[in-house]
Amino acid sequence: MSTFLVNAGGLVLMAAIVWWFWLSPSDDGQSDQDHNHH
Amino acid sequence: MSKNTELHPLLSISGASCQGCARKIRSALEPLTGDADRVEVNLENQTVSLPDGIDTSEAARAVTDAGYPASPMATSSDTHQPPENDHCHAEKTQPDADAGHKPELKKAESAATDDDQIHLAVTGATCASCVNTIEKALTSVEGITGAHMNLADNTATATGHADPQTLIKAVESSGYGASVIEDPDEADENKQEQDRKHYRTLLVKMAISLSLGLGLMIWGMGFNTMRVTADNQITWITLGILTLGVMIATGGHFYTGAWKAFRHHNANMDTLIALGTGTAWVYSIVVASVPDALPEMARHVYFEASAMIIGLINLGQALELRAKGKTSEAVRRLLDLRAKTARVIRDGEEQDLPVEQVKAGDHIRVRPGESVPVDGEITEGSTRIDESMLTGEPMPVSKGEGDEVSAGTLNTSGSIIYQATRVGSDTALAQIIRLVKKAQGSKPAIGRLADRISAVFVPTVMLIAVVAALVWYNVGPEPAVVHMMVAATTVLIIACPCALGLATPMSVMVGVGKAAEYGALIRQGDALQTAGKLDLVILDKTGTITGGHPAVTRCQATDDDTGRLLALAAGLEQHSEHPLAEAIMAKAKAENVSPVKVSGFEALNGKGVSGELDGEPLRLGNRRWLEQQGVDLAALGKEADTITAEAGTPLFLALGNTALGVIGVADAVKQDSEAAIRRLHDAGIRVMMVTGDVDATARAIARKTGIDDYRAEVLPEDKATIVSEMRGKGYTVAMVGDGINDAPALAASDVGFAIGTGTDVAIESAGITLMRGSLHGVADAIEISRATVRNIHQNLFGAFIYNSLGIPVAAGLLYPFWGILMSPILAGAAMSASSVTVVTNANRLRLFKTSSSASREGNK
Repeated sequence: MSTFLVNAGGLVLMAAIVWWFWLSPSDDGQSDQDHNHH
Repeated sequence: MSKNTELHPLLSISGASCQGCARKIRSALEPLTGDADRVEVNLENQTVSLPDGIDTSEAARAVTDAGYPASPMATSSDTHQPPENDHCHAEKTQPDADAGHKPELKKAESAATDDDQIHLAVTGATCASCVNTIEKALTSVEGITGAHMNLADNTATATGHADPQTLIKAVESSGYGASVIEDPDEADENKQEQDRKHYRTLLVKMAISLSLGLGLMIWGMGFNTMRVTADNQITWITLGILTLGVMIATGGHFYTGAWKAFRHHNANMDTLIALGTGTAWVYSIVVASVPDALPEMARHVYFEASAMIIGLINLGQALELRAKGKTSEAVRRLLDLRAKTARVIRDGEEQDLPVEQVKAGDHIRVRPGESVPVDGEITEGSTRIDESMLTGEPMPVSKGEGDEVSAGTLNTSGSIIYQATRVGSDTALAQIIRLVKKAQGSKPAIGRLADRISAVFVPTVMLIAVVAALVWYNVGPEPAVVHMMVAATTVLIIACPCALGLATPMSVMVGVGKAAEYGALIRQGDALQTAGKLDLVILDKTGTITGGHPAVTRCQATDDDTGRLLALAAGLEQHSEHPLAEAIMAKAKAENVSPVKVSGFEALNGKGVSGELDGEPLRLGNRRWLEQQGVDLAALGKEADTITAEAGTPLFLALGNTALGVIGVADAVKQDSEAAIRRLHDAGIRVMMVTGDVDATARAIARKTGIDDYRAEVLPEDKATIVSEMRGKGYTVAMVGDGINDAPALAASDVGFAIGTGTDVAIESAGITLMRGSLHGVADAIEISRATVRNIHQNLFGAFIYNSLGIPVAAGLLYPFWGILMSPILAGAAMSASSVTVVTNANRLRLFKTSSSASREGNK
């Protein structure tokens, strides 16, 4: 069970890294530009 | 380009130095204009002309993305003025030693002003990822078309029009601090003070965290072991809380930086340090709080690792900061040249005034041993001025009434009075400082590559850390949990890209500064990089190989009346300011000959000058032109051959269709031209000369100086064509010329060298301006460029090798073979060592000596 949880956790973490840093829209700059983005 | 009837210069660009750049810009704009031919790139003025109706902001963005920072030009009225280069074209179509004469030379003005650039001082940036984040944050601001961050001196430059406060907010919201640099000098002083403070703070922080880390290590190993047992659980929890306090106090900036970057979907060096030390601490506090939740072998704490990593990284940053300070020494040395006071003579009284209060037109006295406070022209006295600090020329130069003196130079012998012509930020010294600073901050192509890599680097390292952890957990030996935590932490800590971010800017900064020491002002990082690859140097003759001060060597009249010949020639030439005209006027003056009054003066490009005398055309010019006009020059042929054999230029004078005589004007080859050309040969570079002179003259000079190849009777406008032709043959070509007449050829070459006179620093068409009129400057710049590029390669190689070896070792790749698993503490030390190594290697460049100075020292 713990093996499954650790591995699944690791995979989720990797997916989250990919999503957060590459796939999700970046909101560099200022907040008023955020509104334009979203 | 017949299609471009409605083209107006709409964008101001920078960094475009050759036709290749122009092509890139045109193709970048093709999607907007629909046709690349509808875009005109002016390399000389650094402007782009677009057809009406194109969105300039969008166009500027497209050009910036193509690698050339661009911004829309300020007002619409500007855009409808004729392109500035019109007059430049008029100027540039002047021959060198041929008989073309020009009425007026105008100094090339700096086209790309700093008006559309906003300079910011940035704090908190530590690595290549930070550079990316900040540049992205700045370019996302409306009106900003390009941004450039220099990690070496922590400044950012945004190109375009935006409220500085908005830019500061943009930088702040991405996790860094920023302030506008209004007065660069004041900013420099503030920065130095801040750096000193920051250095001390880092050392204190380092001492605290390393003391705790070392203390824990010694205590844990010596008396207790690092394992948690029922007996020491409370102690470890207490120590864990103490460690957390120290981590926040001494490494808080890493955590806040990481958090701010994370919120903006970015990752940087702080992210890796925060994750690495955070993982070690969280794991340890879990072990200390609930040891029973883990197998007995895994009840090991790593508080000491967290504290020591932060201590080591603080130590690394402190050392880096100190070494960084040294790289800007060249600029500091230039800044130190500025005099604080000037002895101004007002209303007949001499008074010492702060240099800021000196106005143009003031008369200033400079005594022996004092430095010249502002630029000006000597009105009284004569002396020898040491200009080595500006031009690299080691020998003091004699100056007398009417000669120019530059701020920052040293008066070595006599007392002089001179009239101030340029003060404050207009002096040559101020311009040099600005130029050097700007070039030091510019990023050559090789640096942009490093930036692109580092942008994806940190998240990739995070993925590798998770993969390493999972592999250790699934197939590693017991205690698997400990091993997975150690591997992940070590990977995160060792992979920090700070060395990668510093590799290029550090070397560029030192290289540009070193070149300035030798009197070579490099305008762009790209020029610095390309100069190292040159394999063909094309030299203009007049003023480049020769001194540019021709003198009359022979004078023969068909009727043996040389006095009348000179009087007629002087009558024409008195209207011209061409060096050949000056030579004839000087000769006439020396012979006490008064110029004859000639009307209807006209200078004809590459041909000569003409006027009217008693209703008949009077012409002075080259053989080809006069023969075309139907003048028979056969009688003067022998004398003309002698003149050319002596490397002189024969100028024929004819009234109507009758030849009156020939005047030989020769421009002496500079003393050191031959030695400098030999140095270029030694560097494996082919040397070619282009000149408007006749073949025999060109051949004589080529033979005398050891030039490999020459092109004679070249019209000024054809020089650029020859440069392009040689580039087409696969050569990487440098053009060396005077920066005004040769502007198109300079712009067409891979690297343009403008030979200056010590004060002409604002030559836009050249990538490199040589302050002293010696060809040794070209060889010096090439040697420095090669050394700098070599240094950058070493740095990048070191940084990449470090990461590509360090990460697998940290992940535990050596464990299956030799049972080696790196400690996170060692990773922290290695990471700090890598950036210190890069900075130290860049500093090594400061000791570089060109072959000329090395041999000079050898001869002493």
